[in-house]
Amino acid sequence: MKYFPLVWASVMRKPTRAILTLLSVMLAFTLFGLTIGMNATFDKLKEEARDDRIFVFARFGGLVPIAMARQIESVPGVKMVAASSGIGGYIQDPKNRVFVQMMDEKVAKVNPEYPITPAQWQMIRDNRRGMLVSRMQADRWHLKAGDTFVIASPMVKKIDGTASWTFQVAAVTPDISYMSQGYMFGNFDYMDKSRTLSDQSKTGQFRVLVSDGSKTAEIAQQIESKFANSPTPLQSLTEKVAFDVSNTGMDIAAVDRDIALAGMFMVLFLTANGIAQAVRERIAEFATLKTIGFSDNGVVALVFAEAALPCLLGAGLGVGLAAVLSNAIPRFLPPGQGLPIPTMTVMVLVWAVIAAALIAFASSALPALRLKRMDIATALSGR
Amino acid sequence: MLRQIFIVSSLNFKSLRGRFWQSMVIVVGLAATIGVMLSMLSLATGMRQAYYNAGDPGRAIVVSKGADQEGQSAITRAMAPMIAVAPGIAKDTDGKPLADRGLNMGIPVLRKDGSRGQTTMRGLAEKGQGVRPELKIVAGRMFERGKRELIVGTGAQNMYQHMQLGDKVILPDGEWPIVGVFTTGDLLEGQLLGDTETLLTATHKTNYNSVLVRLASPDSLATLKTAMTTNSALSVTVERHSDWYKRVASEQTFGLALLGYIVGAVMAIGALFGCLNTMYSAVSTRGREIATLRALGYGAFPVAVSVILEAVLLSVGGAVIGAAIAWALYDGKQDVFGGMIFHLSVSPAQFELGVIWAGAVALLGGLLPSIRAARRPVVEALRAT
Repeated sequence: MKYFPLVWASVMRKPTRAILTLLSVMLAFTLFGLTIGMNATFDKLKEEARDDRIFVFARFGGLVPIAMARQIESVPGVKMVAASSGIGGYIQDPKNRVFVQMMDEKVAKVNPEYPITPAQWQMIRDNRRGMLVSRMQADRWHLKAGDTFVIASPMVKKIDGTASWTFQVAAVTPDISYMSQGYMFGNFDYMDKSRTLSDQSKTGQFRVLVSDGSKTAEIAQQIESKFANSPTPLQSLTEKVAFDVSNTGMDIAAVDRDIALAGMFMVLFLTANGIAQAVRERIAEFATLKTIGFSDNGVVALVFAEAALPCLLGAGLGVGLAAVLSNAIPRFLPPGQGLPIPTMTVMVLVWAVIAAALIAFASSALPALRLKRMDIATALSGR
Repeated sequence: MLRQIFIVSSLNFKSLRGRFWQSMVIVVGLAATIGVMLSMLSLATGMRQAYYNAGDPGRAIVVSKGADQEGQSAITRAMAPMIAVAPGIAKDTDGKPLADRGLNMGIPVLRKDGSRGQTTMRGLAEKGQGVRPELKIVAGRMFERGKRELIVGTGAQNMYQHMQLGDKVILPDGEWPIVGVFTTGDLLEGQLLGDTETLLTATHKTNYNSVLVRLASPDSLATLKTAMTTNSALSVTVERHSDWYKRVASEQTFGLALLGYIVGAVMAIGALFGCLNTMYSAVSTRGREIATLRALGYGAFPVAVSVILEAVLLSVGGAVIGAAIAWALYDGKQDVFGGMIFHLSVSPAQFELGVIWAGAVALLGGLLPSIRAARRPVVEALRAT
């Protein structure tokens, strides 16, 4: 710490250069934060996915008769089967896309982690048109508890021939981290009883809870085989698999790492050049330092500190900026474009600091070696 | 003036060797920026291309009103013949309208890496090949009408397991053999095709998803549209097939493209600061030289221009390297994302985009240093050590 002013003075010798370097490093680390933070989100999602739940839906698309829930419940190991179905549509303008998940009363038990109180669940049971709107969606559409609004859903026709679904906001509830654009939950019965006759008593998907998490994959397989020859063959997807991003067929985590690496490579080049140049310019000064008694290692440490200062500062600021951007991104996306949002976990910051330290080390190694080996007299004479 | 710019610039470039590593900061910065951006965009561009190729402007698609995906649309058995006889639809050699009742459903598949995915299985009715002349059988044969048979696209064959000739696909009424392999040059290559009516029966469905028609002439769309909207028994929308896919493409690739541009922009700004840094250093190391030129009578403008030129040359060089790397790594590579198979693409237009971004970075990054170079008082610069 004693030498901090000295390091600071050397960095600020050329303020323009220092600031530009810092900004450049900062942006590379913003990218690092966004990409590695994205991977952190994927990891978190995978981790938080419960191992005792299965999504079940029609294998070849379309709706599933609710009656099948009882048959699924009879599969050994299945504890509970909830139904949920979606109403996709828009508010006023087709651009204002929304998606409502219509939940039956068992969803509260199958998904107990949802930040919704029993009283709030009860609200949408008591009022069939009631809707639980997450904070983010409520802000987006300027909704508050008690508001009534209409969602036009050309795809989910009502028995009265229209496709306008009226909802009343029962409560505004906290957001769920992996639903990056928020959520809207409605009452399944409202949808079921109001839709076209041929679509009644049918659902889009079942949420199956099993009693033993270690048998989930097996049970999922059993459900599939049990209904393989039924009029509605089913497909089951365990929550662990459903929430695993590698299931898109592309290793997105590796892509993220590559991008972060490209950014780091850029920073390495920049820092290495900057520090080499700084040392070259001030070779006489370092000779002076050595003359007045700085050890070889002391000088090396000074150079390292000079390289590390912008790197570490840039890493911190960059990850900070990434955090700010991550919070802002959902607001800029058009509704219905749910992208996963990066999370700045402590590990992201730790990795950023490690990367910064490595870059500082790599870029100061050669110049430091040069200083260590230099002949003081030659250096002082300016030759 | 031009002569001066030329002389000053060539002097610059001659001294570049002495500033090699410093200049490489710009080259590497832009190569990384453009390389990463174009690699990311290759995904969105490739997907978009697969959609665009599928959309023939000589075709129109009829879906139920309000549906913006085929899967959401339902055309009843009663509606389909009414649509087929509408004016504006081309006639086949047998005098029947070139209108095909299509079916569109998801089907689970096993990817080559073992992960489970989903692809589309389509039903084609009797005019399927007439409406889609791009469909070519490259191995085996076409499925037979009324038989429980499927044909598979070359893309699906490359990316999914159990998609070879003779393999069986499990459908609700048993196993259907794959009897042929086809190409279309578009997104259909990642899918499976079978006979519409047989598939309907097998999957216990009652409605078609769409009717795809060949237009009598490119401008008969209006005729067809009027016929559809004035028929009160039909509640459908007609869209030119190419417009349909343009919309689908922009909806499906928006997020991906946005991510590519966000990453590109963040890196470009980072590279911009690097460029500024390098050019400021370059101007200050060459302060003496520039001052000497100025003392000899060279104008401030040529000096400024030469600085910007240098930045542009280095940046564009870097961009081209980055774009070339992205192209070599990804262009044409077949990939699967979600339920779609397509070829990643780094097109000439993407190259151009990369060069333009690099040029913009260079202009911004060279401007301030060039002003400093041009403005610096000659005497002061000459005196400086």
